[in-house]
Amino acid sequence: MKKVLVIGMDCASPKLLFEEFIDDLPNIRRLMGKGVHGKLRTIIPPITIPAWLSMVTGKDAGRLGLYGFRHRRNNSYTDIWLATRDKLKEKALWHILGDNGLKSTVIGLPPSYPVEPINGHIISGFMTPDTNRQFTHPPELKHEIEDLVGEYLFDVVFRTDEKDQVLEGIYEMTEKRFRVIRYLLENKEWDLFFFVEIGLDRLQHGFWKYHDPTHHLHEPGNRFQSAIKDYYEYLDKEIGKLLEIIDDDTIVFIVSDHGAKAMKGCFCVNEWLMEQGYLKLRKSPEEVTDLEKADIDWSRTRAWGWGGYYARIFINLKGREAQGIVPPSEYDEIRDEISTRIMEIKDPQGIGMKNMVLKPEETYNICNGDPPDLMVFFDDLSWRSAGTIGHGSMYLPENDKGPDDAVHDWQGVFLIYDPKENQGRDIGQKSILDIAPTILKAMEIPIPEDMKGEVIEW
Amino acid sequence: MKKGEEKKFTTVSIPTPLFQKIQDRIKGTGFTSVSSYVAYVLREVITEEPDEEQPFSKEDEERIKDRLRALGYLD
Repeated sequence: MKKVLVIGMDCASPKLLFEEFIDDLPNIRRLMGKGVHGKLRTIIPPITIPAWLSMVTGKDAGRLGLYGFRHRRNNSYTDIWLATRDKLKEKALWHILGDNGLKSTVIGLPPSYPVEPINGHIISGFMTPDTNRQFTHPPELKHEIEDLVGEYLFDVVFRTDEKDQVLEGIYEMTEKRFRVIRYLLENKEWDLFFFVEIGLDRLQHGFWKYHDPTHHLHEPGNRFQSAIKDYYEYLDKEIGKLLEIIDDDTIVFIVSDHGAKAMKGCFCVNEWLMEQGYLKLRKSPEEVTDLEKADIDWSRTRAWGWGGYYARIFINLKGREAQGIVPPSEYDEIRDEISTRIMEIKDPQGIGMKNMVLKPEETYNICNGDPPDLMVFFDDLSWRSAGTIGHGSMYLPENDKGPDDAVHDWQGVFLIYDPKENQGRDIGQKSILDIAPTILKAMEIPIPEDMKGEVIEW
Repeated sequence: MKKGEEKKFTTVSIPTPLFQKIQDRIKGTGFTSVSSYVAYVLREVITEEPDEEQPFSKEDEERIKDRLRALGYLD
């Protein structure tokens, strides 16, 4: 039976990995030369959560009932619940493999805290409160890790101007993680080994403008010009060390949850909803304010929104929201009206944006959990959405909460390397939902019928 | 099972080589049997880390929210 090693590179971009940098990535180039690869179409919405969970369960966001990191609790205006691991109700690969007596090692999957017992080993990811918590399964693994690397690092804060510090933190975190990965590869039993390195996502968000000449804030010749490429090269070296450990019966997957590209700016969705007359305040804020801290006149508000990599819009529906005013009979009408207006939004230069507005119930077969009323993607993801108000403009050239230069892209990466094959082909775009069934097939485990993805053949 | 009928001890299986390893290890340690050593080790693990899931405390949740905010996931 084959074993599978999955190398998760959060936010890895096909353009950078397979085109721009590949000549300087000898290990990944070797895998590409013998394996199959292509773009991996991510899930809607294209965010770390739910994307990794969609990859490991083969289920879309509607089925998972996870539409991002946060969700409204009981249709509250302000109370939210977070998408922590315990909110996952579908079987992930390791549950299915465990049912078949196979062992998995899982490191850094967002989300994986609170840690659950599985047949194998787990180290939780960046939503772990801190290292004083029980962040491993089995519990004693934590002591082995601390003996090995000292304090284990889950994440770094990247939205700061202290760029040298960010870089130092990312490298320290990644170096420790790969030391732990090598230790677990060599010293513990596993059939599936699945890890996610979050450092790449943090680096691309923090350094994209330095790297990308087309970014509107790019300065040619800046001293961080090669920071992103350097890190890809570093990851390649670390991956090279892993390849020395594994045997010829191990199939290697390199995957990302979504891609990355330059952020053009931040579109203030609530400023726009105010301008359009959907959102009413009793008092305008004197400074930039989170919407939940603003004095909202709910008796006259018909819709409000959340920002992030995509905007979620909520209708203030009578009978659902505490102070709802939109009659249920007008629910579809107002959603259509808002959608039509969003599609007419232009950028600051007066050029039409490539916006997309989705209704969750038309996007997914099942909408579990607490979906928004509308999901809005500005300019094919090139514009982030800001939920804050008080900017005096709908357009911000920079992020509203600390420097962040990149947004997500619909295409991530996949590369599958079977040491016993010699292919070296780009096999085109596949879906993130294809990864789980493909891994099960490779491991000769029956694929559950409710996994909708297709097996990637090579 | 009615109250009072619970067995105080039960049997678990471990691989024979492991059993022999433990037998060697407990020589001269004061542990009188492999079972007592295994029970001791397991108790250490189980007591230290309860196997029930620890739910997030309110404080944990606020810390995670702060972190997610800093990362740009709650804008």
